[in-house]
Amino acid sequence: MTELLQQLLDGLSSGLVYGMLALALSVVFQGTGMLNFAQGEMATLSAYATLVLLLAGVPFWVALGLAVLVSAAGGALIERVLVRRLEGAGELPLLTMSVALLLGLNAVMSIVWTTDPRTFPSPFGDGLMEAAGLRMTAQQVGSLITLVAVMAATALLFNRTSVGLRLRAVAQNPASATLLGQHQGRWLMAGWAIAAAVGAFGAVVAAPVLTLTPGMMTFPLLLALAAGTLGGLSSRVGAVVGGVLIGVANNLAGRYVPGLDGDLAIVAPFALTAVVVALRPAGLLGRTRTVRV
Amino acid sequence: MSEALLEARRLVARYGSVEVLHEIDLGVAAGEIVALLGANGAGKTTLLRAISRVVSTRGEMELAGVSIVGWSGARTARAGVGHVPEGRGTFLDLTVAENLRLGGLARTREQRSSARTDLDQVYATFPVLADMRRRAAGLLSGGQQQMLAIGRALMARPRLLLIDEPSLGLAPMVTRQLFDTLARIRDEWATSLLIAEQNARLSLHIADRAVILTGGRVAAAGPAASFRDGDVIKRAYLGGGTRK
Repeated sequence: MTELLQQLLDGLSSGLVYGMLALALSVVFQGTGMLNFAQGEMATLSAYATLVLLLAGVPFWVALGLAVLVSAAGGALIERVLVRRLEGAGELPLLTMSVALLLGLNAVMSIVWTTDPRTFPSPFGDGLMEAAGLRMTAQQVGSLITLVAVMAATALLFNRTSVGLRLRAVAQNPASATLLGQHQGRWLMAGWAIAAAVGAFGAVVAAPVLTLTPGMMTFPLLLALAAGTLGGLSSRVGAVVGGVLIGVANNLAGRYVPGLDGDLAIVAPFALTAVVVALRPAGLLGRTRTVRV
Repeated sequence: MSEALLEARRLVARYGSVEVLHEIDLGVAAGEIVALLGANGAGKTTLLRAISRVVSTRGEMELAGVSIVGWSGARTARAGVGHVPEGRGTFLDLTVAENLRLGGLARTREQRSSARTDLDQVYATFPVLADMRRRAAGLLSGGQQQMLAIGRALMARPRLLLIDEPSLGLAPMVTRQLFDTLARIRDEWATSLLIAEQNARLSLHIADRAVILTGGRVAAAGPAASFRDGDVIKRAYLGGGTRK
């Protein structure tokens, strides 16, 4: 029993990374109605930015704060320079652009920082917490708290502020929002900025565990897409729940399903996703009606 | 006509290479209700969209004496042009209250203090919205969504309210009530109204003046009363235009 709980807990911890990334995907999706495949590489870039600041002697939380701001500015810049040109061109050019951005960012990071893995210090220390026979590292606990805090912050932003109201309005019905005096471009840009900031938190949660490489988020992004599909990308809570479920399913399958150990265990979360989508196409918590892609 | 709120001269609009509005002259005075009549495809919707600057045009257009040619849609809205679009432009996933709050976000600084009382006034004008304020707008009936769209536009305190086909998809009874409300809105909200509508009889009933479009041109314009016998209108709708 204790072992099962421990496996659940470990699965939950690895699911946090996917959940955080899925949350960023969901924010762009809700704020702009588009799926951004480059979300993971953008987050990795944030992690490198944090590392550069750390190596320059900046205290961790200041470095993180700066990296989040720079990421937000970068997200806004990407919207302004790349996405806006494709406005109205349909979903395929936008998807293609985000894949190109994924590859491009990956290449740039490889050139600047090489593909050698770099250790990324845990902001939460190397402590270990034990209770009732269960273990959690300080990094895991800190990641959980960070995820919950970021979720709460985005929920407040989207549901309780006029900025969030404008973001949702522009994503849902841009033409009507314009007639109400909202500058469409400005708010799409804000949506990208917020998602990039969320991604930066995700990267800092992931980097100490995964070790920092340019491709650090490539695989987690696939799982985050699955998480978004599983939980429902139109719901931020759904995306995070999907991420956690995927982490847990992966861990439990690896431990308890014969033949599915090691990397093979990854079949389990994708199977789970396939089953859920067959039964509920919009995902567990997603709404059936979606906005433009 | 008293002082002109909106003045359009020789307005030309095209979609691609197709010219859909040809040299339109249109004026709306402060506090006036103008009915914009015409058959399907006569250019009513395009003309409204040209006024709110989401369709670009040649020609002149002034709002209270200031040229708005070259303005963005958002800027025009903030200058006091409210637009209830065809299909109502509802934000389906937002609640009724959020839809209305959104309407008020484009207010000028001086108008912001009165947002609260304006919201109460919208609820007083459309009591059914007050009962449903927490409901997602997508769950409202067609008539309720039309009321919501008008209420949302009013929350921006427009000087000129453009309404596109308010009767579309509504039961006759609901339509009649809606037009009664529109007549009241002019006084209670101190705004001018330009109503594009296929239902000529109801529009002429509440309008001061009427402008009839045929094939993207002004076929006739004058006091609403002069059109009530229906001849000009019939010709316009049957596609004869001003030709005999």
